Amino acid sequence: MLRNYFKTGFRNLVRQKVYSVINIAGLAAGIAACILIFLYVKDELSYDRHHAKADKIYRVTRDFVSNDGSVSLHLGHVAPPFGPLLEQDFPQIESIARLLQTSLLVENVEKQKTFREERIMFAEPAIFDIFDIPIIDGSRERALKEPFTLLLSNKLADKYFPGEEPVGQLLKLTSTSSARVTGVFQSLPDNSHFHPDILVAFNTLNDTAVYGAEQLRTNWGNNSFGTYMVINSEQEAENMQAQLPAFMDRHLGGTDHAGDRKPSDFSRLYLQKLTDIHLRSHLDSEMEANGDINTVMILAAVALVILLIACINYINLSTARYMSRAKEVGVRKVVGAEKHDLVFQFLSESILIALIATLLAVGITELCLPWLNEFTGKNIGSNIFTDRWLLGLTLLLPLLVGGLAGLYPAFYLSRFLPAMVLKGSLSNSSKNPLLRKTLVVVQFSISIILIIATGIMFRQLVYMQNKDLGFEAENVVILPTYTTLTPQFEAFKSELKKSALVEGVGRSLLIPSDRLLNSMGASVMKGDSMAQTSVTIKFVNVDHDLLDVFEVQLAAGRNFDRTRATDDTAAYILNNAAARMIGWQNPQEAIDQVFAYGGRKGRIIGVTEDFHFESLHDEISPMVYMLSPSNNYTNIAIRINGDTRQALAHIEQTWRQFLPGYPFEYSFLDQLYAETYKAERDKGVIFLIFSCIAILIACLGLFGLASYTTVQRTKEIGIRKVFGASVMRIVTLLSKDFLKLVLVANLLAWPIAWYAMRTWLNDFAYRIEMGTGIFLLAALLAFIISVVTISYQAVRAASANPVKSLRTE
Amino acid sequence: MSKEDFIIETQQLEKKYITDTVETTALAGVDLRIAKGEFVAVMGPSGCGKSTLLNILGLLDSPSGGSFRFLGQDISHASERQRAKIRKHNLGFVFQSFNLIDELTVEENIGLPLAYLGIPRAETEKRVKEAMERMGIAHRHAHFPQQLSGGQQQRVAIARATVSNPSLILADEPTGNLDSVHGREVMSLLSELNDAGTTVVMVTHSPSDAEYAHRIVNLFDGQIVTESLNARKHAAELL
Repeated sequence: MLRNYFKTGFRNLVRQKVYSVINIAGLAAGIAACILIFLYVKDELSYDRHHAKADKIYRVTRDFVSNDGSVSLHLGHVAPPFGPLLEQDFPQIESIARLLQTSLLVENVEKQKTFREERIMFAEPAIFDIFDIPIIDGSRERALKEPFTLLLSNKLADKYFPGEEPVGQLLKLTSTSSARVTGVFQSLPDNSHFHPDILVAFNTLNDTAVYGAEQLRTNWGNNSFGTYMVINSEQEAENMQAQLPAFMDRHLGGTDHAGDRKPSDFSRLYLQKLTDIHLRSHLDSEMEANGDINTVMILAAVALVILLIACINYINLSTARYMSRAKEVGVRKVVGAEKHDLVFQFLSESILIALIATLLAVGITELCLPWLNEFTGKNIGSNIFTDRWLLGLTLLLPLLVGGLAGLYPAFYLSRFLPAMVLKGSLSNSSKNPLLRKTLVVVQFSISIILIIATGIMFRQLVYMQNKDLGFEAENVVILPTYTTLTPQFEAFKSELKKSALVEGVGRSLLIPSDRLLNSMGASVMKGDSMAQTSVTIKFVNVDHDLLDVFEVQLAAGRNFDRTRATDDTAAYILNNAAARMIGWQNPQEAIDQVFAYGGRKGRIIGVTEDFHFESLHDEISPMVYMLSPSNNYTNIAIRINGDTRQALAHIEQTWRQFLPGYPFEYSFLDQLYAETYKAERDKGVIFLIFSCIAILIACLGLFGLASYTTVQRTKEIGIRKVFGASVMRIVTLLSKDFLKLVLVANLLAWPIAWYAMRTWLNDFAYRIEMGTGIFLLAALLAFIISVVTISYQAVRAASANPVKSLRTE
Repeated sequence: MSKEDFIIETQQLEKKYITDTVETTALAGVDLRIAKGEFVAVMGPSGCGKSTLLNILGLLDSPSGGSFRFLGQDISHASERQRAKIRKHNLGFVFQSFNLIDELTVEENIGLPLAYLGIPRAETEKRVKEAMERMGIAHRHAHFPQQLSGGQQQRVAIARATVSNPSLILADEPTGNLDSVHGREVMSLLSELNDAGTTVVMVTHSPSDAEYAHRIVNLFDGQIVTESLNARKHAAELL
């Protein structure tokens, strides 16, 4: 019997080719989109869970509170003295390790291979007790115990010592010191919040030439040390968290802090679960760019929505398709089929078709995965047979979707008396139009919401990319700088400027698009004495030329001047925001005022117009620019004009002349700036793609419904034509009903889209106004798409010979 | 004749169709007895209730009033499920528009009733083959209905109606869509089945088709107005 069912089902599929292709393709596309998102979401949720102790690992974070009580900074790293003190004060800590991530030039002297490594980590040996980092070569016991020893990741071992045994070899880490390789460790998987390439023994930092033991013990201001620990139970972690303010007061009592505030009033420590770092941590310093739980949730919701649309569409199309099989149902009943036979037949057929669609979806997923990986920078594999979640999903989906789609026609058709079905009286009984109409409205509402969301996202993106940043970000080349270069910097600069292609050269500690994390206490003259200001002012070290290189406009005063020696230590340039927030009515008022920053007293010599140093996510912070007599700069900024390639060639040549052996790595300022919107751009593209899929599937649903309705109205169309209705009038008649549904869908979608996008836009300090344009555009799009979809069916029905359609009655 | 000799007995059988505002009476008190082995033709003008009567007799529809005994069992109030069971075991149908399933081949169409009876495949194949041979369509076993002529399709329908050896065959204008040659062929087949002992009830417009029946029932406005024995048929059987 089953064979008989499948035969009928299959032959029906073949006979109604267009329907079948649409039906199966729509469901397959929906399921494929769903599986792809599922894989992405699963990967995002899996971060750092591969460590055996994942649930017991905590990271210490630290925030700073301004005088007004607001948190000015929340860092994922803390000062170096905290680690040992925490271990000493809290017995519940099973193990604790400090990590300091840095970038250095690494050289294999013998092979003359030099690379700049961005992910070098000074780490205490306990890192191996906390994290699962397999050592694949060398001794685990000796790992990171001796100063000036290091472990290489297996990737780097091949890079520096191809085809050689790395253990025992020497690598030069800075211009002066070398370290011995004692082992090779397995690189951490992609779904880890950090990826060290080189682990250097932490006690190397005790060397004063590197950092200094005294610094490690007393420097409370250098919050760059990742501090991770294992605590055995959540309860113990909570207890410890409660005692952390007292801990701060105990140990920071001796350091200076303003007025009568306790240390715990201006800085707090927190324990953050390792498994929260990737998705739930948006601190001001993170090892690498993190994900965002909201994005994951939104994507999961989008996946469900697409699946929902695909199912609705499948149900709609199937129902339409099954209506043409009323006669078969009648015949089967007449020759002896009972209701349960028919229910079983339609259910099994529907599930089988859904299964075909699912298999197709698995194929599509496999094809699209490389694209998803390239796009998200992930390395997701999809082995359906080893991933029990995915396997479960792929088995469950056809049952669920097929079951749902089959249920309705199964019970609807099998309910009819055979005498009625055989007479063909089914086609007149438009039972349940409300259900079907509701389904179409839901589908279209979702599509319209997605269109609006995508449109607003892209407009915000374009807005951000085109907004006047207040300085000239184009044609600025950024290079790193090394201490080797410092003594010869002036010579380097004049060599560069020999070419007319180089307009200006400057140095700074940070460059626009960087986060502004560094601030110190600021005071201004109030009456006769200096008074600390409550404004948190971020600082950037710049040299005399940098503001000119960026073409930053001055609102008042002057730039730093080489001829005035006092500028080196006693001159400050504020930005307008700082001047305004300190309380000066206009920039001019700030000029020549006495100003102390980080305990260094001087005068304000200039005020710049505000410009976007950070990305547009953040409001313009109050800032101060100052010279660094100790040459504490990390970047060189070069403004070029004319031919970029020639300019770069000149810069590279000069670089090689002054810094032979140092890798020449450059970036463009405007590109760095654009990078800060990568997350939004990626999100925008993802939304665009999934909106298209959703709209496509919704159209298939509409097509199905249109054809179903035209079949139902065949007789009416015939009669109207007999009495002289034109094709145009009939097309209008048939389209009108659907357009009403699309209108309702718009009315439902608008408020939802408006609310969702307002929430999204609120994350941006500088944002577009939503306006009505995009809403109307979405409506227009939905109308055009539906008119095109419906017209095909309507024109076909309207152009048919009326005699034919009447005879079918 | 005793009660057991009747395959169908109706008393004051009524059928009303009720829509929102209109009540239409299709059958208004039909008393009809059909003996086992009988060949009855139901005649009457369009809309007189012939098809309604046939649908009720064939258990495809239920009466609104009156009593209906099938093989001595009162089934006027039987559920659809019970009726489906009786249909499956006792009835065969032949329609004017053949009503074959387009997606099934000739042999699959014919085998359908056996499939619903749960007959094993080997037995089904054997019986389908016999039925096809009897109807002279064995050479067309793998064809689909659209590939056959009207007469051939009707023969497939008759083969399907008889393959499960039903005690009653209901035919609704079986020659209505056929030309006279094929029509006569189909009538002869029905007649042969009747000769072999199967009861046949046939709705028809055609007096010549009615000639094959033992008895002709004339229906008008949902009531039996005349019943006549077919003297020629009886005479032929006596000879």
